[in-house]
Amino acid sequence: MSSDPKELTAALQSIPWFQELESRHFESMSSIALLKKVEAGEELFREGDKEDYLYIVLEGRIAIDMFVPGRGRQRIYTAEPMDVIGWSSVTPVVRQRTASARAVLPGRVVCLDAPKLRQLCDQDHDLGYVVMRRLANVVASRLLVSRLQLLDMFAHPSKETAND
Amino acid sequence: MTELIPEVGSTVALKKSAFNQLLATLEGMGYQPVGPRILDETLQVGPVEAFEDMPRGYTSEQEPGRYRLIYTGHPRYFDITPGAPGWKQYLFPPRVELFTVRRTGKSWTIDEPSDPTPIYAFIGVRPCELAAILVQDRVFLREEWSDPIYRTHRQNAFILTVNCAHPCGTCFCASLGTGPRATSGFDLSMTELEDMFLVEVGSEAGRMVIAGLPFQPASAFLLQTASRLLEDARKRMGRELPDPQELPGLLMSNLEHPHWDEVAKRCLSCTNCTQVCPTCFCWDVQDQPSLSGDVSIRERVWDSCFNPDYSYIAGGNTRPSTRARYRQWLTHKLGSWYHQFGVSGCVGCGRCITWCPAGIDITAEVAALCKETVV
Amino acid sequence: MITQIPRHSLAIEISKPMLPYWAEITQIQTEAPGIATYWLRFLDTAVREGYTFHPGQFNQIYLPGYGESAISISSDIEERDQIGHTIRYTGNVTQNIARLKLGDVLGVRGPLGTSWPIEDAKGSDIVITAGGVGLPALRPVIYYAMHHRQDYGRVVVLYGARTPRDMQYTREYEAWEKAGIETMVTVDRADESWNGQVGVVPILFYRLRMDPRRTFVMTCGPEIMIRFVVFEALARRVPSNRIFVSLERNMKCGLGQCGHCQIGPYFVCKDGPVFSFEQLEPYYNVEEL
Repeated sequence: MSSDPKELTAALQSIPWFQELESRHFESMSSIALLKKVEAGEELFREGDKEDYLYIVLEGRIAIDMFVPGRGRQRIYTAEPMDVIGWSSVTPVVRQRTASARAVLPGRVVCLDAPKLRQLCDQDHDLGYVVMRRLANVVASRLLVSRLQLLDMFAHPSKETAND
Repeated sequence: MTELIPEVGSTVALKKSAFNQLLATLEGMGYQPVGPRILDETLQVGPVEAFEDMPRGYTSEQEPGRYRLIYTGHPRYFDITPGAPGWKQYLFPPRVELFTVRRTGKSWTIDEPSDPTPIYAFIGVRPCELAAILVQDRVFLREEWSDPIYRTHRQNAFILTVNCAHPCGTCFCASLGTGPRATSGFDLSMTELEDMFLVEVGSEAGRMVIAGLPFQPASAFLLQTASRLLEDARKRMGRELPDPQELPGLLMSNLEHPHWDEVAKRCLSCTNCTQVCPTCFCWDVQDQPSLSGDVSIRERVWDSCFNPDYSYIAGGNTRPSTRARYRQWLTHKLGSWYHQFGVSGCVGCGRCITWCPAGIDITAEVAALCKETVV
Repeated sequence: MITQIPRHSLAIEISKPMLPYWAEITQIQTEAPGIATYWLRFLDTAVREGYTFHPGQFNQIYLPGYGESAISISSDIEERDQIGHTIRYTGNVTQNIARLKLGDVLGVRGPLGTSWPIEDAKGSDIVITAGGVGLPALRPVIYYAMHHRQDYGRVVVLYGARTPRDMQYTREYEAWEKAGIETMVTVDRADESWNGQVGVVPILFYRLRMDPRRTFVMTCGPEIMIRFVVFEALARRVPSNRIFVSLERNMKCGLGQCGHCQIGPYFVCKDGPVFSFEQLEPYYNVEEL
């Protein structure tokens, strides 16, 4: 974990939605953010863990896996630079991680302290609105991806009445 | 009898008693005359050897989903409007061999069918049916490629049209401008009067046929009688198609109109309409292999957009519902056909209305679609 | 986009367009489970030397006794001796083609259909977006771009497959990258042995930085994937006349004569399979058209 202020500020400023924050909101978010380097293969969090951080990928690739007994770790999604992961830490409903996150490539992530973020949002509803709107977009996008994956559109068509 | 041979475009009068001579002339030129015949108590199209073979005295009552052949004993030979079969089966046979392949070592040889193409004279083509042939010309004979089967059958055919003096209940050629009078595309066109036929010469082939016959000049009286007869017929159509020119735009912008659900409840997707429609052209191609697999006959057969397999693609069907298939048929026939071929696909013959077991009437369906929906 | 092929380069007899030309199988390359590329060489020398095609066109491949199947040509247009067809074994005809060996003979009619706008795209960036068995129809564009790299700006390939095992042409990706073609792949699902991306093709598109003012999008794959790729492209303000899709429908004649492949007023075999989205827009959201 690094908290070199210059490096952190530069990292946060490279994130498009942070660039749109009012400066007081940017300061608030900075105060709860940390920069973390990850090695290939390093785990960020595991299924069942308590939810402590919201992550934003800066460089590299983080794989989201779910373990299925009998089938092993299934890779559900890979997060690329600027993707948000661990978003469920900010919503009140789910209380533990539903998937594991592991770095596939070396890189860096921004870690936002989830309990503190929730507190900030409660105290400043303007910031809360911006954060929740951003997360709503993330969840919507993830839902669409999941739906398309669910439709299994590349599956081999049924052979029953095929007449070519 | 005069010594002059009528010019193309002129009209002469021919006594009905000379009609057998006309048939004989056609046969002498190598044509096989085919025309409307009463066979097995139905109106069919078959070989015509004599004038007496014509369905004299018969008429038909036609309504949505209803057809009755009725003998009234009237003196006219051609006063019956089309039954189910038409001329499409001659130019575009329902089942025909394209070629046969035979295994030769690792490769194959192709044998094309060598039976001589019959040369037909179509006797008694109605103006709507003629219009349909002209539509199918655009489908099968194109600049990029043409269908050899249609081409050879078509170029050999002699067309003798008979104008309609008594349209039936499902006719609506007038709203499409395809009848009751044929204007061009025929070799000879006749209007039946009391004792005479008025014969309009449409081509050199028509000229050659009429030349040897005992024709007489067409008097003003005869011409006026015929004119009046056909004008009356035009006004007495069983139904009409609203605004045919507006239909392509209207149909293609109402693809989600609630009325499609309405029709779908009634349509059986039985393909009757596509079979009797004289412009429908869809076809399938199938291999008929021998047991050993060394020989295979490749055949072309009629198909229909109502067939469930018609729109099959790997793993699914792009038009699984009757609603989708009916919509395809109607919007194609009256709408996108224009974009594809420059004319309407409908000639107003009314066959699809008569022969639909559910009694679906496209003129009524179109009228319903034309009505605004209140949202 | 309607390309006029000079008569000598057609394996179609203009006056008898349903007659096949014979070609022997010279190579069979397995690409993925259930998918292989069949290389065909015309038996007749004149046809072999005269046959040319444009990227995006297809041939009707005939297996006597079974029937024909419309297969996109997936080889380089500059490869004149053999023509490659990447076939997925789905139905009666293709499953029996799977039983053939080198030297066996198939019938060919073609080339048919419209082609990708490789000429119009010169001077612009191209984003080639393929999913599953959509990639074969686009591979000739990739080759063309490689041979004429200076004529284009960025050339990007976005490709998605079901799983890593199902990816096609993997042995070529390195050569594409070397030739300056940015190649990004994703899979729908994988296990932990896969270090590449997991997600769907539209997301690859979403993540791409592009200048919509100079981008051509060419996409092929399952129609639902195409739908979402087009959605993303339009959201990025790529104009609909610079988004091209290749569609598939039931084809019997390949000539626009038998009626089967119609979508609205278009015959997919003759007015397509490559369409600009501008052409399809009025009909695209009508279900079961």
